[in-house]
Amino acid sequence: MIETTAAPFPTIRVRPWLGRLAVATSLIATFMALVWAPTDAVQGDVYRIIYVHVPLAWLAYLAFFVVFLASLGWLLTRRPWFDALAIASAEVGVLFTGMFIVAGSIWAKPTWGVWWTWDPRLVTTAVMFMMYVGYLLLRSLSTDFSRRATRAAVIGVIAVIDIPIVHLSVLWMNSLHQLPTVLRAGGSPSLDAAMGTTLGISVIAFTLVYFAFLAERISIELDRQRRTLEARA
Amino acid sequence: MNALDRALLVAARELAAERRRPDGFVAALTFTALLVLMESLAFGPGQARQPGVASALYWIAILFAATLVATRSFDRELEDDAIDAVLVLDGGREALYAGKVIAIAIVLAIVALAAAVLSLVLLDLGVALAGHLVLVGVLGILALPPVIVLVTLLALRVRARVALVPILSFPILMPQLVACTQGAAAALTGDASAALGWAGILAAFALVYGVLGLTIVPAAIE
Amino acid sequence: MRRVPENASLNDVTVVLDDRAILRGISLGLGPGLTLLRGPNGAGKTTLLRALAGLAPLARGRRSVSGGPPLYIGHRPMLLSGLTARENLAFLAAFRGLGAGDVAGALRAWGLAGEMDRPIERLSAGQRRRASLARIETEQMPLVLLDEPFADLDSDALVRLRAAINTALVRGQAVLMATHMHHELDQDATHRYVLDDGALREV
Repeated sequence: MIETTAAPFPTIRVRPWLGRLAVATSLIATFMALVWAPTDAVQGDVYRIIYVHVPLAWLAYLAFFVVFLASLGWLLTRRPWFDALAIASAEVGVLFTGMFIVAGSIWAKPTWGVWWTWDPRLVTTAVMFMMYVGYLLLRSLSTDFSRRATRAAVIGVIAVIDIPIVHLSVLWMNSLHQLPTVLRAGGSPSLDAAMGTTLGISVIAFTLVYFAFLAERISIELDRQRRTLEARA
Repeated sequence: MNALDRALLVAARELAAERRRPDGFVAALTFTALLVLMESLAFGPGQARQPGVASALYWIAILFAATLVATRSFDRELEDDAIDAVLVLDGGREALYAGKVIAIAIVLAIVALAAAVLSLVLLDLGVALAGHLVLVGVLGILALPPVIVLVTLLALRVRARVALVPILSFPILMPQLVACTQGAAAALTGDASAALGWAGILAAFALVYGVLGLTIVPAAIE
Repeated sequence: MRRVPENASLNDVTVVLDDRAILRGISLGLGPGLTLLRGPNGAGKTTLLRALAGLAPLARGRRSVSGGPPLYIGHRPMLLSGLTARENLAFLAAFRGLGAGDVAGALRAWGLAGEMDRPIERLSAGQRRRASLARIETEQMPLVLLDEPFADLDSDALVRLRAAINTALVRGQAVLMATHMHHELDQDATHRYVLDDGALREV
């Protein structure tokens, strides 16, 4: 027995002030990161990229975890809203993950002397990026709404289960093959209180930007779904 | 008729069709042999003989072969909408998934065996631990199809399916590829504990993704 | 609305494919007997059959089928190439837990005595069609869904199809047949529906 009912679309009312708040917090975070926070004793001003790098890392994982939850939501309830959430978070996630990899690369060059190393975290991020690019590709190639949502949701679930396994497998591989010591040399700068506060504000700012993007993208997707519904009627 | 019987029935149907018209098998075998040959030449035989390199080349070839066998198997299913006759049936989706995984693993095992002989002979590889190598090989062959069949099912009637299957399945299979490659290299060089460790991981992968596939497949096919 | 025991029903079913509503709010009950489904090309006849078979995702509504999964024969034969007609039918019957004993007999009755052990792709379109229709006898399910069964059939096969359907009706099976052809079977039909632009009406 199958029963499906088209779910009513929740409207998002938080959008205008969420965007403004995100911009305001970002401006404060930018000032703190570039001016207020002290220079690092070991790395100099280069370390300031941490205020971009760490929030991006957090958002990359958050975004894909939201895709996972939304995918489960779609598979269990078949409410179109979940699919809108999944696509929104996946697109924003791919954007942030891409920026995260680029920012990490820019930071690695002056501190480690290389653009890229085969550190488990880096490899996992790169694999994760490829998975969600594939996810978006699958979506763009499927024409039917409900099939697209279901297929994408399956990938959205598997990918999240796979990410820690990818991380562990690279870790195990590296434990057998000693990596060049360059990895250990840089390390993370030890953060003092002002640096910690700045990092905290940066994370909050970026998270607000993520949610602002997410809300905007969800409403675009819901509009699209509504137009399709109207075109049917 | 229980779920296992139904899965075995689908596997037998697949193997019977593949035996009479071995499209997937022949394509995969030829492709794998060609790839092993080309990769070895591109590296230069001296480099390609190193255990790590040789096993990496081998497993990348097998990975492509697996997608080829799976894609071909579902091409046949779609030719006359034969798949619909199975999907209508109670438990048809799970049986289709499990049966295909079993059948494709068997076809892949034959391809892998032939490719292994080819690699060993062409590259004159020394095998320190033959038993361990076979173990890694068998478990590697079991670990790949659960993911590849699931992804092939997801991409069933999607445009550009042939490109989409590797793009979606290879990132997911990255840990399996690492385990296969490292395990085989360890067996070639005589590192018994590492080979067994990777073999164990491969067994876990086969189990985890097999169960995951069976759980998610009924919801995944519409 | 009929009140006889129903073998299958759709209740307010909407099916959306490629972002287009193919069926809109269809309700249909099928009891024992022959039901004919007519309608112009693209009206959604195939989708309606697939919805009953559980092969089309329902955007809304309910489907219920009693007595096991229906026998659905689409407008393509749905047989796996590489296998013979006999192997294909035996597989499908075995999957349903039915004996495969009468598969050869059914194929012989459909005039495929000499062809049943040849791979399906070597048969002509009409022979493949016959092989797929022989499933009406090898898989006797309470609900039988036939999509344009007359296509590719010669006059012998038409007689055979009529006999097979009549036997099914005598056994109390519900047969739903989508066709745009008029045929002698019309007089046997208990219900006739016309599907036009996703909406159903009884005639």
